[in-house]
Amino acid sequence: MPKYIVRHNAAERVMHWTLVVSFFILVLTGLGLYAHAFFGYLNFFGGAEQGMLFHRWASILFIISSVFLFLSNMKETLTFDADDAAWLKAGGGYLSREKKEIPQGKFNAGQKLFAVFAILATVVMAVSGFVIWFADSFGRALVQFSLMIHALFFIFFVMAAIVHIYLASIGNPGTSAGMLWGQVTSGWAKKHSSKWYKAMGGK
Amino acid sequence: MARKAFLIDTTRCTACRGCQVACKQWNNIPAEGTVNRGSYENPPQLTPQTYNQIRFIETEKSGDLRWLFMNKRCLHCGDAGCMKVCPSAGALYRTPEGLVGFDAAKCIGCNYCINGCPFDVPRYTEDKKVTKCHGCIDRVSNGLAPACVKTCPTGCLQFGDRDKLISAAKEKGKSVYAEKDLDGLGVLYILDDTPGTYELPAKPAIPASIFLWKDVIKPLGILGFWGAVGTALLHYVTVGPKKVEEDDDSYTGGKGDA
Repeated sequence: MPKYIVRHNAAERVMHWTLVVSFFILVLTGLGLYAHAFFGYLNFFGGAEQGMLFHRWASILFIISSVFLFLSNMKETLTFDADDAAWLKAGGGYLSREKKEIPQGKFNAGQKLFAVFAILATVVMAVSGFVIWFADSFGRALVQFSLMIHALFFIFFVMAAIVHIYLASIGNPGTSAGMLWGQVTSGWAKKHSSKWYKAMGGK
Repeated sequence: MARKAFLIDTTRCTACRGCQVACKQWNNIPAEGTVNRGSYENPPQLTPQTYNQIRFIETEKSGDLRWLFMNKRCLHCGDAGCMKVCPSAGALYRTPEGLVGFDAAKCIGCNYCINGCPFDVPRYTEDKKVTKCHGCIDRVSNGLAPACVKTCPTGCLQFGDRDKLISAAKEKGKSVYAEKDLDGLGVLYILDDTPGTYELPAKPAIPASIFLWKDVIKPLGILGFWGAVGTALLHYVTVGPKKVEEDDDSYTGGKGDA
């Protein structure tokens, strides 16, 4: 077994970081419109009108990269077996220091749920954002509802991102390498994704 | 300063539309091209160039035709939906007299106020800047009556201390539309029929989605953000990270179903 295993190919990595950059542009410009306390953030983008344009262009990048990432892992993401159920039941082993070995495929059940959330939230944000963007063309009640939903899923998305960033960085050392240059150690694969590790030829 | 308000006694309106013209004159707004729609109501609704407009309402009551008139404009709500949603502080603002003014230079063209208003009042100019009745702030702050009030020949439009206008109306035995809703409206209508006949909501309120957005979801967002950050940090210092030890051969991969 080689020391390193390729976890994410170059296209996935580029799209992931495109998504990250567009996500932070969306969050900063969106916060500018969200509360007066953050209105100044729009000045990073050349003022409010420019900031709103950045928000719209970034949204297009975000939607493209989010859909790409979902489709490229769709088969794995949408497979849910007894091991995944056991993983969820054990809280992914995150609730104590006790060592728990629950076999998982390339993605564990939590990552699958995150992926499903991410694509659903992307769709909700895209549709409600479209209505807000072209507010003149829609009824007031629909625009009002979209503004509410857009804010709600903004919060969900930021919360999910915080958990995602924690678990993919300091929470699980060695994970970020898989998305940075694409390779994880075989030790990491054996610990976190034993079924995937075996499928890749590990023992 | 005592809160000022308009009193609009629709029973005294003759639909001369002097208010519409006086508003354009004082605010230097051009006239608009119009079409004959078979009604004197013209334009058919508020526009970026029409801050107030006389509505012509034809209705029937026990077999009799009634022709009702109403001066439609910004109602200068005490709890204003437009101000609630506006991201740019100062683009919509409260004057010392309690009116809702706007500053086009600060307007960022986000469309929120148009959808936050309970009465569908604000309009956008072609360059995406908010306009609406601002209560002739420039006149009022100098002790003058708003242009529409100044010109009204029948006394249908009045302007003054809100409390005094309300008590004067009540002394005459007239009730005021939605007196206490939205923290009190800055336009006190005396209506001659149900609010619905005038296309006014019976009980005006901030639209439900806007209330949820600004008064429920937004404050909970603070909790959501710090809750997520706090949970991650707490997890790190209590349970700690899942480290992969280089020489740890104890992982067997477990026994799964696959």
